[in-house]
Parts: sequence; structure tokens; C-alpha cells
Amino acid sequence: MILNWMGLAAAAATFFGIWFGHVGVRKIEAASPTIWAPTVIALTLGLALEAGALLANNLYLSGALGIVGMTVLWDALEFSRQHKRIAHGHAPANPNNPRHARLLSEYKSATTTNWLDRDPVGHPVKPETSLLEAEGTK
Amino acid sequence: MNLFGLGLGLVTLFIIGLGFVWVIRGEYYLGYLWWPYIMGLGFLLIAASLFIPSVWGSALLGAVGASLVWGSTELKEQAVRAEIGWYPFNPNPKPQPPFAEQIKKWPAPHL
Repeated sequence: MILNWMGLAAAAATFFGIWFGHVGVRKIEAASPTIWAPTVIALTLGLALEAGALLANNLYLSGALGIVGMTVLWDALEFSRQHKRIAHGHAPANPNNPRHARLLSEYKSATTTNWLDRDPVGHPVKPETSLLEAEGTK
Repeated sequence: MNLFGLGLGLVTLFIIGLGFVWVIRGEYYLGYLWWPYIMGLGFLLIAASLFIPSVWGSALLGAVGASLVWGSTELKEQAVRAEIGWYPFNPNPKPQPPFAEQIKKWPAPHL
């Protein structure tokens, strides 16, 4: 039987795209003093990857470039969404980043605490007490 | 001009988008402790894609499998989001997966 490796290539590209969309976008947004710079870079890179997908004769390469390119294009939007998450306190701010420092001073909800960095406790809980409670259940 | 990659990228983006929906609904109704089973199903689909002769069929099965593996790593954080009120919290008892007590001792992975 001949194995078809296309699924594995698509899976690897999909997982890499999602991983970068989560971890990479978070780290780059936290470090970048502006939102427009990473947005423009992601747009350019995403379009270049899609152009590569169109020009590639190899199906594996075309598929992988198409998937990663599309996720990078989505990441261009995610930088702005991550900025809003920081303002709302849904992601921790980096006080050493001047843009985040401004959000910390302008928005009461902005925080340097990562509310998600704990195990579930099984019932509703206020964010302010959730980390202590989760620590107590360990 | 090869349209395969562009098309596959668009469909995969849709599959990833669906992932956000099922992670929210799945955590709400089942809870996060099902993560090893969803991760296992994802890897099973990726392995099954090796035996699909169709290029599109294999690629889509692989993308769905990877999306399931990723989603399994999101369930724990989604449970925390619901507990602190960012998403609706389901107060009803959730079905416990087989070996739930063992799974509780494992650190749930997240990206």
C-alpha cells in the first residue's frame, strides 16, 4: 500500500500555523512598541506565502504554504485583537512595553497578571481571588 | 498557476475557525477533562489521513486532526475563562470521561 503523506504535511502546517498564531502573536505583540509594524509584516509575509503557494508545482509545498500563509494573514488581524485583550485584562500586559504601559494607566481592567495561568477549580470565581484559590486546591 | 494551496489554506482557516466554536461548546457541555480523548482522536485522524488516496481528502483529514489536537490543549484555559466570567459557566454536572481521576493528576497541556 502506498501511503499518502499529504495529510501529515497539512497537519504539520496547520498545527504550526495555529501555534504561531497563539504563541508568536502573543510574544511579538507584547514586545512591539507599535501594532502597525507587525501587522504590515504579517500581511506582507502572508501574501508572499500565498504567492509561493500559487507558483509552487509541488503539491506538498503548495498546500503547506497555502495553509501557513492564510494563518499568517489572519495573524495580521490578531495583533489588534491582542492589543484589545490587553486593554480588557484578558491577557497580561508587559509594563516594559510603552504601549502596554499606556494601556495599564488608561484602562482600569488592564493588568500584568495572567488570569488563565492556573488549573480550573470547578465553580465560578472572581479573577482577583481565583489564582489564590487554585493554589489552595493543589 | 497552482490553486491547490490557496484553496486548502482557505478551507483550513475555516476548520481552525470551527475549532474555536467546538472548544467553547465542548468545554461547556463536557468539561476540560476530555482533553486526552480529543487529542487521541486528532492523532488518529492524522494517522488515518496516510491511508486516504485522495489528495484533498488526506489534506483535509490531516488539517481536521491537527485542529483537534490544538483544541484539546485549549480546553483547560477555556474552563478557566468560563469560571472567571469571560464565557458562560455551565453549572450542571458534566459527564466524567473514563479514568477521570487519573486525568486530573496529569498537567493539561496548553500552547
